[in-house]
Amino acid sequence: MMSSAALLVAISVITTGLVLGVIFSLVAAGVTIVYGSIWLPNASNGQFFLTAALICWSFATWLAMPIWAAALLTLLVSLPISYLLEATLIRRFYDVPDRNIAYFVVTLGVTQILSGIFSVTYGRWSDQFNLPPVVSGITFIGPFPMTNNRIFVLAAASVLLALLFVMLRFHPYGRALRAVFQNREAAALRGVNVRAIYRLSFALGMLSIFAGGILYGMAYSFDLTVAWTMAVTAFAIMIVGGPGSVLGAVVVGMVFGFTQAAVSIFANPTVATFSYLAAMLVILLIKPSGLFAR
Amino acid sequence: MGKGATTSGILNNYVIAAAVSAAAVGTVLAAFAAMPARAQSGQPITVGVITELSGPYSFFGTACRQGVEFAEKKIAAEGGVLGRPLNFKIVDDQTNPAQAVAAARSLDVQDNVLAVTGPTSSDIALAVYGYAEQNKVPFVVPVAAFAQLTKPGTHYTFRVEPDAVGWGYAAAKFIAAQKPGAKLALMYNDIALARAIVAGIKYQAPKENISIVSDILFPQGSNDATVQAAQVVAAKPDYVYLATVGAFDVTATNQLLDLGIKPEQIIHNVGTTSTLLGYGARSIGSIYGSFFDANLDNVTAEGHQFVDEYTQAVGRIPSYVENFCYNTPYIVKAAIEKAGSADREKFRDAMSALNMVEPTSGVPISFDKNGARKEYMYYMQLTGVAPPKSYTAKKLFYIEWAPETLPVYDLVK
Repeated sequence: MMSSAALLVAISVITTGLVLGVIFSLVAAGVTIVYGSIWLPNASNGQFFLTAALICWSFATWLAMPIWAAALLTLLVSLPISYLLEATLIRRFYDVPDRNIAYFVVTLGVTQILSGIFSVTYGRWSDQFNLPPVVSGITFIGPFPMTNNRIFVLAAASVLLALLFVMLRFHPYGRALRAVFQNREAAALRGVNVRAIYRLSFALGMLSIFAGGILYGMAYSFDLTVAWTMAVTAFAIMIVGGPGSVLGAVVVGMVFGFTQAAVSIFANPTVATFSYLAAMLVILLIKPSGLFAR
Repeated sequence: MGKGATTSGILNNYVIAAAVSAAAVGTVLAAFAAMPARAQSGQPITVGVITELSGPYSFFGTACRQGVEFAEKKIAAEGGVLGRPLNFKIVDDQTNPAQAVAAARSLDVQDNVLAVTGPTSSDIALAVYGYAEQNKVPFVVPVAAFAQLTKPGTHYTFRVEPDAVGWGYAAAKFIAAQKPGAKLALMYNDIALARAIVAGIKYQAPKENISIVSDILFPQGSNDATVQAAQVVAAKPDYVYLATVGAFDVTATNQLLDLGIKPEQIIHNVGTTSTLLGYGARSIGSIYGSFFDANLDNVTAEGHQFVDEYTQAVGRIPSYVENFCYNTPYIVKAAIEKAGSADREKFRDAMSALNMVEPTSGVPISFDKNGARKEYMYYMQLTGVAPPKSYTAKKLFYIEWAPETLPVYDLVK
């Protein structure tokens, strides 16, 4: 029979693993969708993740919007941002051989620019940012008190991941997108407008990263350093899961979330935080192409 | 219509003429108002301010710059120093140690500044420390608590903020005064500052009969403390001491509260206005360390004026960071007056022999032979929050101690 204290710690591991896992999965899915279709390793994913959280914070704080409205509007804002980036930067490299390297350098540049802008704007305003809770109150799961706000974040992220799967599997755009993932030349011969799919996948990937940023901001206080942490995490998940595999991103994202939560029971949190990177190295040694590589 | 337009045009001319006249009169009046109380003549004395206006510490660097600029204006209005203007040349170090050293070199060689000041990060301050000591440039560190900045043998560096090991010493003293034989849980980030604080707590805790029941170190970049908070709850401490940083500090605080730790059990290493407001109303009752607080009874008339003017200009009350940066130009001014000249060696000697009080709070300022300040610390309890501008708090504890009370440089290598 487990003691009350042990049960408290055990449930905290499960809930923390779930919350971290779904957020990691959402962001990594966004990164891998873009990589799978356009071959764009988005080094600026962490900065866009932060952009979403900061925009949502601005709407909720400066414009005093209800948090749900601020979140929805932030998601909408991701669309013109995606369009602008795609039209000005991304599109130019579609026909460049080995464009993944060019894209990596370009997105590193975007990272530096956004990082600089945030440090002299939001960074001067505050050293930490908090979004108001969407729902208040606490629900007891056994002896463990979980805030309803975190339950909401968990539910919302799960629903978004499910919608992403349904869209990719059953919607004609989703099927076309998967066809481009698998073989863009064959997809083009079958009448798929590959460039339109590129645009769609970039917008979808950014939407997913934005959703992750907003939900993270709802679950945790955040500062500007979260961009770097998330950028490394999302890349690690994509590489371990298999570049271009949304299923891999989701499975490995959940594993990473649980690893981080569980390892901290018997090791210090420093070891816990870097345990997934160790796991990444081991998996890459065994299967260099990633667990769910096509 | 046409006549109306003409009348309107004439009226507009009158309005413009009146506005221009008012602006001219206003400018003249403002110029008179801005004139220093006493005439300043001679070459300005320039002090370099190397601080973090971009990069991860831009919040603290910007706050520090504001404190320095407030003091610079007041000193100018009071007539400068030795009848000469006292200028502060502010340079952005981008929160980058290499950039900070380059800035120090430029200020030293190109601008021939009397001294440098400004960093709010211990890493940056340590980088400038190396340059300052090697090149004999007086360095007044306003907001960096790392003890190595005033290690034995230091000659040109003076640390205004009490050292971090001392913060831990003060925390143990405070906890022992609050509850003899208390059980304490520690949660802290893996950064030099927090490790030094915890070293101080662990050194003093046994002497105060405090038992440490939980000791949790988080890496930089941590985002969740739920599991650790559950472990802390299971250890049943009387107090939880948090030396966590940035947004994670607020997250960890909220997660402790979520799991049933009472605000009165939570002790934050220090509290700045932004973090105290970030904790929110549910943290009312929690405790934090400080070196200056607008709610203290001993804030002087000048201190109140600084608080009011700063709040009006920036939109929130200043905390100890801004206060240190406001007081630093006054420390520089006092040392120049004591030295009687803007010679670096004489200034250094004057800093070493300085004996003054903070203009804003009356707390004593003096330095030991290594440049460490006579240490002090307040423990405050949060009693209310009024975001985004202010909060209320009451003093629970105050302590002063000499730097040599602790074997600081044995505890932090």
